[in-house]
Amino acid sequence: MFQTLEETTYESKIAKVSAGILICFKQLCPHCRNMEKAIEKFAKRHAQVSLFKLDMEENPEASQALEAQRAPTLFVIKAGKIVARKAGLMNPKELTAFYKNA
Amino acid sequence: MKEQISCDLVILGGGPAGMTAAVYAAQANLHTILLDTAVTGGLVNSTHTVKNFPSQKEIHGITLMEKMRDQVDALDVPVEEVCDIEQLDLSGETKIIETDECIYHTRSVILGTGRKPAPFYLDEECEEIHYCAVCDGSPYKGKRVLVVGGGNSAFDEGLYLHQLGVSHLTLVEEMDRFFAAPATRDQLCSQENVTAMTSTRVCGLTMEEGRLTGVRLSCEDGEKTIPVDGIFVFMGQIPSNEIFKDQIALDDQGYIPSTPHMETNLPGVFSAGDINAKTFRQITTAMSDGTIAALSAQRYLNPR
Repeated sequence: MFQTLEETTYESKIAKVSAGILICFKQLCPHCRNMEKAIEKFAKRHAQVSLFKLDMEENPEASQALEAQRAPTLFVIKAGKIVARKAGLMNPKELTAFYKNA
Repeated sequence: MKEQISCDLVILGGGPAGMTAAVYAAQANLHTILLDTAVTGGLVNSTHTVKNFPSQKEIHGITLMEKMRDQVDALDVPVEEVCDIEQLDLSGETKIIETDECIYHTRSVILGTGRKPAPFYLDEECEEIHYCAVCDGSPYKGKRVLVVGGGNSAFDEGLYLHQLGVSHLTLVEEMDRFFAAPATRDQLCSQENVTAMTSTRVCGLTMEEGRLTGVRLSCEDGEKTIPVDGIFVFMGQIPSNEIFKDQIALDDQGYIPSTPHMETNLPGVFSAGDINAKTFRQITTAMSDGTIAALSAQRYLNPR
């Protein structure tokens, strides 16, 4: 469901996305797992939204460039650009509102 | 139109109690559904290292819970995670549970919702207050942190922050002693750049240009201010009873006073794990409760 982004390619991949959500996560972060499930649930009703994930510990330069310090940090991508960001947990309803308002 | 599903047993909560109950219920051929408002694993997901689970000398909490979940999946128990429980009626012979996706009609329920972290007593807006060292700790390498709490979670998370390389760690506990296991406590307190204080309460924050610069502490010898860059709060847990607290008898602290067979005050409704009123809350005791609750549910559904 998620495409994995990496340090060297994340910018070019984001630039090609018309509608997407990116989660910056850490492997052992319990809230990241909750957030990923919430995103998957959101995606069931929003099939046009592409999903991306970026491991903050494996990709420290990309995380720094994205200013993702806390895990999870979520980004909304529209027309190839990051238009909103939020750190912390959201449930599927809050995520839907966050995406729509971005 | 939501899907309507009839089953024998719905388990609310996918921690060790709920997943153990699911394993036993599936093996008893009960048509069982497991619901969780988060992902399965419960609070164990937040435990870095589990060292007291028989058969595992040392294992990360998430890894242990993944193993438990693998067994639930292998038994084909449907699991709905991150679900929003919109309505719950436990009163009748058929219990009704409505989530954002389905409406479940079930003859029995096991409540295994466990506990959740207690919120910080200081009601102030501050971006540098955190509840998860793994999630938010890395920006504090080389900086000063305060850990609030004196139980196992506080000391475990304090050790994690120390390993990240914070420049100084202060740990404060309101009560007159620490409640963490002695080995963990000694491991953290023996570090040079760690200060641990009992009978100490955070009474205020000092902020500059919207950023935290220090905390005011109320100690036995008066009030003092110490510089900190971030605060990590681990003040124990409170029962997760919101979804059923108006339907199930609870004790004065919000826990379920279940019988030895994990029965609640309502027929067909059982409870297991940390949500139960009891003295010891461990992974192993939760699994014991889950076992008994599932077997009791089986006996309730198929009396001989």
